Amino acid sequence: MKITYNIPDMHCGNCAMRLEALEDELQGITSVDASYHKQQMVVDFNPEIITESEIKAAIARKGYSVGA
Amino acid sequence: MTEYIVAFVTGLTTGGLSCLSVQGGLLASSLASQVEQDVRESGDPHKARVAQPILWFLLAKLIAYTLLGFMLGWLGSVLQLNPVTRAILQIAIGIFMVGQALRMLNVHPIFRYFNIEPPKFITRFIRRKAKNGSGVVTPLFMGALTVLIPCGITQVMMASAITTGNAITGAFLMFSFILGTSPIFFLVAYFATRLGEKLEKYFMRFVAVVVLVLGLITVNTGLNLMGSPLALGNLVSAVSSPRVVQAQSPADASPATSLSEISPVCTMQTNGTSNSGCGSATKGGCPMMNFGNRSAAGSVNPTAVAVVEVPTVIPAVEDQAQELVIQVENNGYSPEVTHARAGVPSRLVLVSNNVRSCSLAFVIPSLNVQVLLEPTGRHTIEIPAQAAGTRIPFSCSMGMYTGVIIFDQ
Repeated sequence: MKITYNIPDMHCGNCAMRLEALEDELQGITSVDASYHKQQMVVDFNPEIITESEIKAAIARKGYSVGA
Repeated sequence: MTEYIVAFVTGLTTGGLSCLSVQGGLLASSLASQVEQDVRESGDPHKARVAQPILWFLLAKLIAYTLLGFMLGWLGSVLQLNPVTRAILQIAIGIFMVGQALRMLNVHPIFRYFNIEPPKFITRFIRRKAKNGSGVVTPLFMGALTVLIPCGITQVMMASAITTGNAITGAFLMFSFILGTSPIFFLVAYFATRLGEKLEKYFMRFVAVVVLVLGLITVNTGLNLMGSPLALGNLVSAVSSPRVVQAQSPADASPATSLSEISPVCTMQTNGTSNSGCGSATKGGCPMMNFGNRSAAGSVNPTAVAVVEVPTVIPAVEDQAQELVIQVENNGYSPEVTHARAGVPSRLVLVSNNVRSCSLAFVIPSLNVQVLLEPTGRHTIEIPAQAAGTRIPFSCSMGMYTGVIIFDQ
């Protein structure tokens, strides 16, 4: 399952790299494609293993807020 | 030398912070496993040896970027940059810097595209490599890999390395810059790897403003190099005329003195069509050099060729020539504004005395004159008769030091 999140406080290319590290850190995430240019991240995950709220919490732990 | 100091200071101030925000995470993660291992062995978190891996990381980074500078400088020399292309490149770099600054200040989303993002597979590869492994190899490898994820300021410096047009100069430029970024990298990485993110948030605005100013200066030097009337110096000199010196009239000048000192005379071939005379130029001691290549070891630029004439017999037209003397100094040209008579040819004499700055790289864009002067010596450039009101701006090859010759009735 793929979900796109708006991350309005990405302020450089490294933020995208930090967020993409989630694909190695969380069980159930297949891939994370974050773009500083678009201020978005696309998360491909298995909903049977990880929930959306868990993903959002992980994003928040990295210091980013999920926009509307 | 000046450009290396500027590059070092840029690295020490803005570059260090900017690079830290992009590459700090990489360094932190490459250190993590080392720290983990040391803590596991000793049981004391304070005994983690982080200084050594940080140094390895920085050393590898320094070497990698120096090599990159070498290649970029070489690329610039292959491209054979003449003053106009250098000026265009310089202006483009300036716009790039201003764009980076506006991106950091978050002025508009469009400016985010000034930041070049490395492809996903590269960032993913680097991240996964950083997580696994320890010892010397990982920090060395990670340090070298930082060339793949340069920060904005580094990207600007890389573009500057191209404009040097010389592999060695490019290498030294990048070396100076990366050396400058190293202290802050080391300190921050050593004391707290998380500080990188905090610094990024607090200091980004400061960095942005500095980059904005540097960007505007770079655009201005590009305009200077083109001899554009829009350049700040030319705008100011159009309003006021500081350090004005009137041209010496032929009657005032002692012919014996002026001619004996002007030997050999280098006549500039301004149309660039002739490709003869290069050999004799070198033989005759005319220091006509390729400008993209500012070192004395450069090749002769085919677009500007010097012809040497030993003035045994002075043609009648040269007797009427007015002599304009400009002192080449370490911090520019004196006088900055020279007034000359219109309608007669001019003999521009550039006098240098133990000068060691980029003012030796002398450019008159409108006449397609580019010459690398000797640190001590006299160099003569023949300027054909000009119409009244003509302004001939000149500058050093980087557009930092400027001046103008104004032809009056």
